[in-house]
Amino acid sequence: MPWGWIIGLGLVALVIFRIYYVVHVLKARDLAFFVGAMLQSLQLGSLYALIALGYTMVYGIIRLINFAHGDVFMVGAFLAYFLFSRSPYALPWALIWAALSAWGVMFVLNLWRGSFRDPIVIGGGVVAMAGLTYALSATTVNWLLAMLLSMLITGVLGVVIDRVAYRPLRGAPRISLLITAIAMSFFLENTGLLVFTRNQTPFRPPTEWTQYLQFPVFGSTVYTTRLIFLIPLATALLVVALTLFVTRTRLGKAMRASAQDPETAQMMGVNVDRVIATTFLLGSMLAAAGGVLWGLNFGSLNQPAVMGILPGIKAFAAAVIGGIGSLPGAVIGGVLLGFLENFVTALFPRTQHFAGLTEYKDTFAFILLILVLLLRPSGIVGEDLSEKV
Amino acid sequence: MFKKLFLAAIALVLAGTALAQAPIKIGVNLELSGRFATIGNSTLQGIQAAQQQMSEVLGRPVELSICDNQTTPEGSKACANRFIDEKVVGVLGAISSTMSIAAAQNLQDAGIIMISTSSTNPATTQIGDHIFRVAYTDDFQGKVAAEYAFNTLKARKAAIFRQQDDDYSFGLAGFFQDEFQKLGGQTIMLNFVANTVDFSSQINDARGFKPDVVYYSGFCAEGATLIPQLKQQGFNMQFLGADASDDSQCPTSGGAAFNGYLFTGFGGPEVLTGAAKQRAEDFHKFFNIAFPKATDFNGFTLAGADSYNVLVQAIKDAGTDNEAAVLKSLSNLKDYPGVSGSITFAGTDGTPKDRTIAFFEYLVPGQNGAAWSKISKFGLSTAAASQ
Repeated sequence: MPWGWIIGLGLVALVIFRIYYVVHVLKARDLAFFVGAMLQSLQLGSLYALIALGYTMVYGIIRLINFAHGDVFMVGAFLAYFLFSRSPYALPWALIWAALSAWGVMFVLNLWRGSFRDPIVIGGGVVAMAGLTYALSATTVNWLLAMLLSMLITGVLGVVIDRVAYRPLRGAPRISLLITAIAMSFFLENTGLLVFTRNQTPFRPPTEWTQYLQFPVFGSTVYTTRLIFLIPLATALLVVALTLFVTRTRLGKAMRASAQDPETAQMMGVNVDRVIATTFLLGSMLAAAGGVLWGLNFGSLNQPAVMGILPGIKAFAAAVIGGIGSLPGAVIGGVLLGFLENFVTALFPRTQHFAGLTEYKDTFAFILLILVLLLRPSGIVGEDLSEKV
Repeated sequence: MFKKLFLAAIALVLAGTALAQAPIKIGVNLELSGRFATIGNSTLQGIQAAQQQMSEVLGRPVELSICDNQTTPEGSKACANRFIDEKVVGVLGAISSTMSIAAAQNLQDAGIIMISTSSTNPATTQIGDHIFRVAYTDDFQGKVAAEYAFNTLKARKAAIFRQQDDDYSFGLAGFFQDEFQKLGGQTIMLNFVANTVDFSSQINDARGFKPDVVYYSGFCAEGATLIPQLKQQGFNMQFLGADASDDSQCPTSGGAAFNGYLFTGFGGPEVLTGAAKQRAEDFHKFFNIAFPKATDFNGFTLAGADSYNVLVQAIKDAGTDNEAAVLKSLSNLKDYPGVSGSITFAGTDGTPKDRTIAFFEYLVPGQNGAAWSKISKFGLSTAAASQ
């Protein structure tokens, strides 16, 4: 596809030219500023990518745009907040948290063993239950453990959502499923609002990662935080793990088969319901990880009813831009969106006669979405339909 | 015959007491949930404390009809319509300019008095003759903040963060900008909307401008996120806020970033002078007994109390709860000894003449904001400034 390369390289050349113009002709910004903006874009883009993966996986298999996914992301962030800020817990609460997490552990082990009656799955659940009850009632949870537990619990939530809201509608018209997803989204938002009405929840676990960081580049200073290392790395790690799971395991193969043709896969002995549950489990776990990193990045969580909406819709746009149904597409779309939001506003800084593009940054996601839908509805990497997961 | 007269007399007395006991209804339109819930509840506590101090007027009890506008203009309009149906004498609230302006037109058309507690946008009281306020206006607040930034802090470049979709924040930022530029400073205006969490683009713009002072004209719902992000990104200049920052949500949610944060706000007992100081202190003591668990006693509490006090005083002066008579006595109110200073509505558009604005500073020791405190630095009177 030479035209794709030509357009892509042409855009990159344009961006480089524009940077040169802003730095040397307008003298409005220095090069270090663009390095900073690039790092920031990568950081935000990684977060969008994590959320977008959940949209794309679910769409790939049951052709559902899971509008509740943004709210699953919100739940993940708030669970982690409760875990690290309220621990150590009194015994009854520690038991409840540990039971939910142990359930998540069993789900994860089940991916490997394939049955809940397997001794390793049951044993793992019991060990997790005992260990976590002790840990949660005795010590303060640090942010990393809070993130892992929140991922487990949110994964369970994803499976439960699928079980109660989507599985009864298998085979129903797709519009019914979509409406159910919207209802689920409202349900989660308003439940969150009942539990937690505060406007801004401070999300500042004691960690070195959020510290301010500055370093010299091209004779000037880049301002950022240590999260610039953490967030893209964590995202890369999770994406690699997911890719390995999908390409190298039996269940991953079953997922790819179900994405191609669920009925034929079922005829070949694939348990499609189990595959779908797995998809929700993994997607929700990624969303929870995204939520925790999101909280670390911005230092606070918005009120539950609104927190998941905008990131969710933008990540959905990212998934479509990358090519919905494709795993690399979601990552590319997410990172692209991060760049678009931060880097394009940096390319057009405010000058004396021009107000700058800062206030329009939220619209870029949707302008690009419209362009992609008009010019290339299958998304950037969506041409190979057989790769859908 | 005598027996009949006696019965008639008893009936008359009974009828009289029944009439006297019919409560006077006052509407309360506040942001009790949603983005401004904390300051909404501070205001409500102020109103309720004032009601406990003065629960009867003209020998009849005062009943508050409380309506939560959920911090939405639609909710505020719905509250206004509810009060029109309930035929209340007057409405106290709303707090913010956006919600006050939303309700004001409906109440003005229905001929119901409205006393906004803390709306500071000049446009609010210009909607009609039924609309009053207890606070000062933003042209004054923006001016004193700009003068302080320019003259005392010696700042020459100010980055102004404003919430674009709020009448108060938008207006105030404009007044600050005008005055700061008039004094000879440079400004950059950075916009955001309600519920923004990611301020990175605005911060990038601010960094390119290299400000000496940051002026924040928005509310704590966004400020509690913005200020820590600014600090985290290496902005170590003085931050200056306005009366919407007089909200415990700022230091408790924003944490250590709010240490040393300066803001202008509704003057309290520390900065009032003379008899007004005594009244404010007495009210504070009464308030602590009435609401022992309240975490905030701030400008919103005082404004809430005084909105109630002036309305009840106007009913007392009128000698009736007749709408027109109460409006007349309220418009002619002179030197009412309020807990936030003396209040005069005579000869104004509904904005009292002598208001005290104070400069506050947050002290937030430690990383989380649990142990925050607030000190008043000094006060300025609107009456003295206009002379």
